[in-house]
Amino acid sequence: MRPRRALPALLLVVLLLGAWELYADFSGVQSAVLPAPHEVGTALWNGGAVLWRNFAVTAEEVVLGLAIALTAGFALAVAMHMVPLLRRAVYPLAVGSQAIPIPVIGVLLVFWWGFGVLPKLIVVALICFFPVLVTTADGLAGVDPEQLKLMRTLDASRWQSFRLAELPAALPAALSGARVALAVGVIGAFIAEVATPTTGAYPGLGRQILADAGPNFQTPRAYAGTAILFAFAIACFYALALAERRLAPYRTRTSGEPL
Amino acid sequence: MRTSRLPRRPHRRAIVPVLSAAVCALALGACGSKQDAVSAKSTKPFTVMLDFFPNADHAPLYEALDRGFFRQVGLDVKPVAPAEPAEPLKLLAAGRVNLAISYEPELLLAREQGLKLVSIGALVQRPLTSIIALPGRHVGSVAELKGKRVGTAGIPYQSAELHTALEHAGVSPSSVREANVGFNLVPAMLSGQVDATLGGFWNYEAIQLRLMHKHPVVIPVDEAGVPTYDELVLVVREQEARHDGEDLRAFLQALSRGERAVKADPEAAADAVMAANPSLERKLQLESIRQTLPATVPSEAGKPYGWQSPSAWEAFGTWMFDHGLLHGMPIRPGYLTPYTNEFLPGQGI
Repeated sequence: MRPRRALPALLLVVLLLGAWELYADFSGVQSAVLPAPHEVGTALWNGGAVLWRNFAVTAEEVVLGLAIALTAGFALAVAMHMVPLLRRAVYPLAVGSQAIPIPVIGVLLVFWWGFGVLPKLIVVALICFFPVLVTTADGLAGVDPEQLKLMRTLDASRWQSFRLAELPAALPAALSGARVALAVGVIGAFIAEVATPTTGAYPGLGRQILADAGPNFQTPRAYAGTAILFAFAIACFYALALAERRLAPYRTRTSGEPL
Repeated sequence: MRTSRLPRRPHRRAIVPVLSAAVCALALGACGSKQDAVSAKSTKPFTVMLDFFPNADHAPLYEALDRGFFRQVGLDVKPVAPAEPAEPLKLLAAGRVNLAISYEPELLLAREQGLKLVSIGALVQRPLTSIIALPGRHVGSVAELKGKRVGTAGIPYQSAELHTALEHAGVSPSSVREANVGFNLVPAMLSGQVDATLGGFWNYEAIQLRLMHKHPVVIPVDEAGVPTYDELVLVVREQEARHDGEDLRAFLQALSRGERAVKADPEAAADAVMAANPSLERKLQLESIRQTLPATVPSEAGKPYGWQSPSAWEAFGTWMFDHGLLHGMPIRPGYLTPYTNEFLPGQGI
């Protein structure tokens, strides 16, 4: 991200923060309902160790959960592409899985995998694999038929045809899916934390935000935590966008380029 | 598995930022995960599921942990915080934890659902649930709730408590509007959505509001006509109560030493709670610990810490039955009682 390219976004942030500050200061809304940006900033500063150590827990869940989600989503899409029967069997269930209210299965996940980080990773993966699955499956199906014909003419094996024609064709779509997954990964970790029990002094930023917004009654710090998640989602998204330029440079620049 | 590997490609440079971000996050994550102290070989793992995130109510537990009382009796106690209030009893019944902290009404409801669970001691001897109002709303007593809007957490037995309190004060329940505000009781009051709430604890939300100089009116439900009950109870599986009595006796013995330590030095207890949950506010925890202490003393003189009064359990069970919260009387001849005092220090055989 070049500095000058980030300028419009930064300007917009400053503008929004200014409007928020004015609204919070002059509309009479209580700090417990909507804290002013300067209060959030103070909470961010004073929250220090507690916020960052909880963030570290959440960041681990996001990164590992996304790793599982990207791998599983991609692998499942390839498998479905190779075996049409599998596609017909699994696709509807994959769609349905997105409607599962996670708290319902929270107890079950813990019953199976205990109180560690694994149940949380499963939740993140469950939420994030879907966009990768759909976009990759579409990308694989959308390969230019002429290319496949050419592969056959050249007597390519199924694997060669996949590696040289279908995979490169699917990669841009798969990466779009990964970007969506990365953007929802952070809220996925929040849901995971809120839906499963936890041990230890640092249960993650999601838990902390929920406690601060509710029983701890520290709304400014809840917003400070939210600001961290907000920034982290952006960071994850652009980290992948950077990688994408190198992984799929042949992707058309005009369409979905975020920066 | 702690590393994720991206597909190898000619342009390695691009992968560096992604990987380094991932590595940073992992390294940070490693710092964040709490390292459990090395446990002595002779101690038995013993998972305790709390009713809520760690707070002042759990001071005796964290004091006993901090001072090694559990270890001394051979238990390696690990506390776990639930995601929602019904979880502790479910995971207890499923065999995932050894003991769950829950609420007397929740236990009675769970038993009616067929969960074979029993309370072996009371962490808090009386209701903490209270009717709380802010001064501007002119609610000085239950009678003044007439025509007002009361926020609750949407828990059926708490709605029944509100009805009982209103009837006790001679107010028709139909004249009061009940609003389900979930667990945002204090914000609902502060923002003026409701005139009063039922569900907040006199040893928590009430103190919180006092520390904010809001001067709340606080009426514990047992002072408003609801029969007294043990707000927080220590629940185990009936099966364990029959076979692993030694562990339970040891747990309760160490816990009562923890309670004595809390009484002797509330400041140290507040530190122990803060270490377990650093996002809390210490001033509130300390004040809450101090004010909760009297509520841990059994109502009958000469009874040990954790004592559960048979007559109180009987009366509260009857109240729940009378209000349609239970389909059968929870305490009846020929059935195991929902509580037992036999594992408390100095009790049993």
